[in-house]
Amino acid sequence: MKRSILYPIMIALILCLAPLLIAAAKVGEAAPDFTATASNGQTVKLSANLGKYVVLEWHNNGCPYVGKQYNSGNMQRLQKQWTARGVVWLTILSSAPGKQGYVTASEENDYVAKMHAKPTAALLDPTGEIGHLYDAKTSPQMVVINPQGIVIYDGAIDDKPTTDLNDVPGATNYVNLALEQAMAGKKVETPATRPYGCSVKYAN
Amino acid sequence: MRRRNSKPAAIALGLASLLCGANAGATEAPIPHGTIEIIAQNESIEPGRDFNLGLHFQLEKGWHIYWANPGDSGEPPRVEWKMPKGVTAEEIEWPTPHRLGTSAIVDYGYEDAVTLIVPMRTETILAAQQTAQIGVQVKVLVCREMCIPGKAQVSLTLPIKSQTAAPNSKTAALFAAARKSLPQHAPKDWKFSVDDTISSFVLSGNLGHQTTRAIFFPLNESQIDNAAPQDFAPTAAGFRLTLRKSQQLLKPIARLKGVLMLSDDRAYWIEVPVSKPGAGQSNSGANVPPKHLLEEGKTT
Repeated sequence: MKRSILYPIMIALILCLAPLLIAAAKVGEAAPDFTATASNGQTVKLSANLGKYVVLEWHNNGCPYVGKQYNSGNMQRLQKQWTARGVVWLTILSSAPGKQGYVTASEENDYVAKMHAKPTAALLDPTGEIGHLYDAKTSPQMVVINPQGIVIYDGAIDDKPTTDLNDVPGATNYVNLALEQAMAGKKVETPATRPYGCSVKYAN
Repeated sequence: MRRRNSKPAAIALGLASLLCGANAGATEAPIPHGTIEIIAQNESIEPGRDFNLGLHFQLEKGWHIYWANPGDSGEPPRVEWKMPKGVTAEEIEWPTPHRLGTSAIVDYGYEDAVTLIVPMRTETILAAQQTAQIGVQVKVLVCREMCIPGKAQVSLTLPIKSQTAAPNSKTAALFAAARKSLPQHAPKDWKFSVDDTISSFVLSGNLGHQTTRAIFFPLNESQIDNAAPQDFAPTAAGFRLTLRKSQQLLKPIARLKGVLMLSDDRAYWIEVPVSKPGAGQSNSGANVPPKHLLEEGKTT
């Protein structure tokens, strides 16, 4: 008798938990935790940043969509502007060794210096572990996490899915919108969009 | 990003058009790892009659371009027409795409070669001219492991004649192949429905016969998870296909629109209302075969 009651409950519990086990980051849910090595040698643990807003930026220095943001200076501007306001900005490099965008720590440090990039840290993710954890599809895909550790934005950097530098000035930047609205205590109006760009170069 | 010599090319084209007059402009131009060519189905244009142009992309092995919905990454080719008064271009007729990519990221597009047919409308005022020069600027993203954006300008000049235009024998094979690769209207007696479960859309099709395969290509972005396996189950008279929802889909959708590919590579445009989750009764005619499909289905 006991078995017959317990079984359905257990199965129901497993069914409830299953999505948590396989699911990647989803808007409105807790951001999956990770620990990674930054290009500057430091160890970064996402959950150590609870209490702050965190931006995740998927990066590949050979991707023309990323080039549009960096060569226009837009990404650096965003990094500077938001880290100045206490936001933790993590650039994530999920290209596998041998693939476009794969860099060593020192190559990434050179790139950051050359481009005058201002992330809090650039995280090396050659196994694609963090990328898969967030189901990152493209560079530059952007994720915004609130101080409670909840994903409040996941998707494209802006509403102009092109490689044209001229499209940067007129674009609506979804990261700005999400951070501004959340910091003002408002609801994030556009919490998810299709992330555009180059596919993340995971190992096959 | 450095523009791949587009400026000198543009200046050369501009000079050429000044020097050579109306016939200037090449029908073929390079794009990254390939070429684009503008082709006409007929030898001439008859004012008031519709006609077809084609954009033929020839790519190096392994390189691809994208469908109207590119899937997880990439972007579709974008066209900007330059035409005489009295000619207007319709939407591109997109051939059935292929699923491209690895397990984590799936795109929709075309490898090797593809011809995009573009129907053109004409008005009778065109009769006042002898020829019509039609140009197009194409922005296209060409990808293999990496992606390279390209821009090309091609144009062609067709004589305007009052009699019925004769088909161009040189382009006939390309147009025939392109037509064959277009999805068809789904037969009227086929019935489709879509159930909205929490995590998936379940697309059921009653075709009146069995099928060994069904693949769905969503026309709209961020509805289904492109990379998720599409769970196919044959039924006595059709199939059931479970499509995992996209992570970016936060609101219910009214319809699922796209291309359905069945056995033998036959593909069809379908547009199916989505039944509300839990609601047993129909919401304004689920199961009704799709109407106005090509009109709505082609545009994004």
